[in-house]
Amino acid sequence: MGSMFIELKIDIDRCRAGQPCRACIESCPVDIFVATDGLAAVVADNQDECTLCDLCLQRCPTEAVTLTKLY
Amino acid sequence: MRFYEHEAKSLLAKQAIPVPQSVLVSDAQEARRAAESLGSPVVLKAQVLSGGRMKAGGVKYADTADEAEAATREIMGLEIGGLKTVAILVERRVRVAQEYYLAVTYDPVAKLPVAIFSSAGGIDIEEAAERMPEKVARGNFSSLTPFTDYVVKELIASLNVPGADLSRLTAIASRLAQLFLRYDLTLAEINPLAKLGDGSFVALDAHVDLDDEAIGRQQALLKEMGISPEGREGRPSTAFELEAAAIDRSDHRGVAGRVVEFGGSLGLIIGGGGASLTAFDAVRKYGGNPANYCEIGGNPSVGKVAALTKHILSKPGTDKIAIIMNVVNNTRVDLVARGVIKGVVEAGYDPAEKVAIFRIPGAWEEEGFRILRKYGVEYLDRTASIDQAAKRAVEKTAR
Repeated sequence: MGSMFIELKIDIDRCRAGQPCRACIESCPVDIFVATDGLAAVVADNQDECTLCDLCLQRCPTEAVTLTKLY
Repeated sequence: MRFYEHEAKSLLAKQAIPVPQSVLVSDAQEARRAAESLGSPVVLKAQVLSGGRMKAGGVKYADTADEAEAATREIMGLEIGGLKTVAILVERRVRVAQEYYLAVTYDPVAKLPVAIFSSAGGIDIEEAAERMPEKVARGNFSSLTPFTDYVVKELIASLNVPGADLSRLTAIASRLAQLFLRYDLTLAEINPLAKLGDGSFVALDAHVDLDDEAIGRQQALLKEMGISPEGREGRPSTAFELEAAAIDRSDHRGVAGRVVEFGGSLGLIIGGGGASLTAFDAVRKYGGNPANYCEIGGNPSVGKVAALTKHILSKPGTDKIAIIMNVVNNTRVDLVARGVIKGVVEAGYDPAEKVAIFRIPGAWEEEGFRILRKYGVEYLDRTASIDQAAKRAVEKTAR
């Protein structure tokens, strides 16, 4: 089952513009992001573990990450 | 950790408390030889870590060595309360003039050890305390200061036990209390404590529980007595409990999976420690029938709570679940709410129907309550007590 409560998206173009970068991957305490083909990607099954710490949003140099609460 | 009867009696004997002459045997031939050496009549007692031994046929009397051999064959294969008989204690049968009850345990209300004495021995002490309170005396004492005999002497004297018996019983009770303190026991019980025809006393049956937390520092005793703590947990865990423990182990974050299975209809996901006991008792008080006991806490992950919720709902006969904790500060309300709802939905149910009540106030509660509202789950905030939450859960659940 996918995400029910939290949805995270990465704008690929913005992410690419910020490379090399692992900011979201390294800052996330619950492993929602992974590196795929040199860019960040979201692990769909982990999204509901998001603690709303906002570190990914704060650290991303290109504002590529968006977070939506589904409730 | 519970001791087998023969171990409990060895411990009593170590403290100079009289016990019957006995031999521990593991087959019929040994029982015959034991009966011959002790001299008939004898009593044969299944060594098993559960109660109800007498009713289950685990205690038999034999007047001859032949009878002892036959009785052993019957007892040896017995399973009592789901536990196997590991050996048989053959004891010389004694002629009993009167039976008493004597125990030392912890009094959770006074937060002190308590000595309990009754002139009605050989029966269930809780039942005795209710039916004939005048025959049961209790007295607290300190575990910090050295034990003095007057505590138990006063206690025994309060039941009008006369002179010689008072002195002998005081000595035994005092030794039992000192044994309790020295070896970190949570229960040291002699029931019955028999007075024989010659006026002497002997511990006919004994029940000793060692505090699990003290196993480490009581290694010398356990080694000396040849006791291994393995396999002494009482009732073995059920498959349902083992699976819950596996869920807990699967993720290091928080606790979600300490489960004890019961046969009721209301699944419980409740905060650990005293709050969970309070919630559980409150459910019982209002006539509810828990399907399980289960602790969560320490901020478990959403996935772990979801897996646990699904697991609890998988138990046949579970009509609804209640999620009840005290006000939390190290567990997040929203993460538990997410986990519970996810688990219910993944199990194929509607959270509004399946969750009888959600009562976890505390950290991130506004976020949590938003989630619960979205899924139509009834919740209570900190203005409602654990007791009220339990009452509401019971009202909504089929018995």
